[in-house]
Amino acid sequence: MRKKECVAMLLAGGQGSRLGILTQEIAKPAVSFGGKYRMIDFSLSNCVNSGIDTVGVLIQYKPFLLNKYLGTGAAWDLDASWGGVHILPPYATQTGGEWYQGTADAIYHNIDFIDSYNPEYVLILSGDHLYQMDYNLMLDFHKLMGADLTVAVKTVPLEEASRFGIMTVNDDMRIVKFTEKPKEPDSDLASMGIYIFTWSVLRQALLRDHDDPQSDRDFGKNIIPGLLGEGKNLFAYVFSGYWKDVGTIPSYYATQMELLEANPEFRLFDTRRRIFSNLNEHPPHFIGGEGCVERSLVCNGCRIYGQVKDCILSPGVTVEAGAVVTDSILLPESSVGAGAVITRTIVNEGAAVGAGARIGREDKITVVGDGSTMEV
Amino acid sequence: MNRTIGLLTANYSTSGFGTLTEKRPPACIPFGGRYRLMDFALSNMVNSRISTVGLVTPYYYRSIMDHVGAGKEWGLDKKEGGLFILPGTVFGLKEENAHLLLRDIIHNSNYLARGDGDYILVSGCSLVYNMDYQPMIAKHELQGWPITILYRKTKHGEKHRGYYLTLDENGTVTGIQQGKEGENLFMDCFLIDKSFLLRFMRDFRALGYMDFMDIVRQNLDMIKVNSWRFDGYVGYTDGLEDYMRSSLDLLNPEVQQELFPADRQIRTKIHDTPPASYVPGSVVKNSMMTAGSVIEGTVENSIIFRNVRVEKGAVVRNCVLMEKCVIKAGAWLEYVVCDKNVTISPSTCITGSPEHPCVLAKDAVI
Repeated sequence: MRKKECVAMLLAGGQGSRLGILTQEIAKPAVSFGGKYRMIDFSLSNCVNSGIDTVGVLIQYKPFLLNKYLGTGAAWDLDASWGGVHILPPYATQTGGEWYQGTADAIYHNIDFIDSYNPEYVLILSGDHLYQMDYNLMLDFHKLMGADLTVAVKTVPLEEASRFGIMTVNDDMRIVKFTEKPKEPDSDLASMGIYIFTWSVLRQALLRDHDDPQSDRDFGKNIIPGLLGEGKNLFAYVFSGYWKDVGTIPSYYATQMELLEANPEFRLFDTRRRIFSNLNEHPPHFIGGEGCVERSLVCNGCRIYGQVKDCILSPGVTVEAGAVVTDSILLPESSVGAGAVITRTIVNEGAAVGAGARIGREDKITVVGDGSTMEV
Repeated sequence: MNRTIGLLTANYSTSGFGTLTEKRPPACIPFGGRYRLMDFALSNMVNSRISTVGLVTPYYYRSIMDHVGAGKEWGLDKKEGGLFILPGTVFGLKEENAHLLLRDIIHNSNYLARGDGDYILVSGCSLVYNMDYQPMIAKHELQGWPITILYRKTKHGEKHRGYYLTLDENGTVTGIQQGKEGENLFMDCFLIDKSFLLRFMRDFRALGYMDFMDIVRQNLDMIKVNSWRFDGYVGYTDGLEDYMRSSLDLLNPEVQQELFPADRQIRTKIHDTPPASYVPGSVVKNSMMTAGSVIEGTVENSIIFRNVRVEKGAVVRNCVLMEKCVIKAGAWLEYVVCDKNVTISPSTCITGSPEHPCVLAKDAVI
């Protein structure tokens, strides 16, 4: 039977409730980031740059924009004849149908899909992290260690460790303990939510987990502790590059603002490991005679007649004359009316800030959607 | 409904561009930050629901093939119809100011005869405009005459070399003259019945070396020719002065609205570059800027293509900088067109004038 070495499964079904207004209408992986990108671009581009050409995208919450954005996968060169992007929603069967109950359940319901590619390994990813990573290096490590499961981990300051899933390892990086959000962490290795499983092992674990009525159907809570308990070979792979979880408003805001620094850690302009996106249909942007742009990232299709400083402007944004926009992120097709003054504000996709409006305060991040506002 | 197929002639050249057209046809001259001239004609066709387009290629066709590929960005990578690359007949020759040689049509009669369409929309590649051809096609169909010619009314004092039409009160073409000024300027585009064109080809085969318009002109007593007036913005690129003027026209928001409306986008090859980055100290006024560029210096009244770098203290005014140009610290440019990948050394000063912009050849290091 024809075989793929490694198939990636991207968990994109979560609501991302911590992003509030931003995920009111769209799934978290579809949220705009860094101007022209959407969060899912980073994981998808990593796949392509790592030579993984088969990606199943598990969707559930508000999938319309995400589906439209992914299209055939051509924007990431993932329109392959055997492989490519596959959108995998919950589905009905002869005996009924149900929503994905958890991360592991989503994979469980797509065992047939994975089997159709007959892979040796399955890479599990999530769509809300900012990082550039060569998954091949992790896969090499997985093979070298003869692992059943390799978890990518990142060193975090010990005082922050209680926010993460923490891996305790022995000298050869074998995982001996896994604690979700420990009160008193004994290790500083945090799970990045990136797993490589040997498919036969994961397949068995999923089937067993499905028969357990007590299970939450979650990788972190059930599958990983289960495999650990069985004495399987679990290893931690330490990733030393830049990695940020951008699933909360403060981290979403702060990570993007870091992109404006002189030498940002996350290298958007790196031509060797490019980030691909699917928002490329606009004409160049225009800065009017009275417009002014300072220390900002600006995408095509923007029209700037006002003042913009320390901002990220996504495609198709309009800033009218007399408006002053500082320390803000304007998402695609949003606009700021004449004379409006906004600061430290995220303006949601398509939202319009009225002329003369005053929005934002120095000590909070304000998020503006059409008809709703929140402060974090 | 009758079907229209497109025929785009990208194989003609002019001498007015100097080094810009040394290794590329005018159709492929970069324009407007992220486009090439041919994008406008090609996008107009696909935006008018023409989904079969033949592209007649010139001698230097590398840049055209690089640009259009399989026609993916224009939605022309299709099972039904799509993009057809056709060989031009002017290989080895420099055909100055020709519009459509009959032998180019004869040479590609297989494409036309395939049976795909009833009408053929023929267009050159050098004009910058955004038009929906459907109303013109509808009128052509309704009236049932074999040819409809697209033209525009020139403005006072405007001079362009081309064909000028004499029209009667119903818009019927009663005369065609070649010249430098006139009232009704042919827009390098016409619609013709396929059956008529195939017959025309047989009848005039011996005149294959002639321009199609010249043959029509000499036979107006036998051929019924209608006209369609386009009233929108048209940018000319007949030579450097025109190119410069049309480029700077893009800084007029009304022209931008007309050329780049959201529902009839001009499509182009997608490069997927990161956003443009404005570094502290940059001053940018009245300019069209493209993604991927890094701006540290001053840019005014200019068109900046993607991946351009303007370093600290550099001043760029009334310029067109094509992709990957690097303007080093302290350099000063006015009325300069930099072809792709030009590097200007620190503190170098180069100035042209609106009538005679200075052109720097591709890959030059100055």
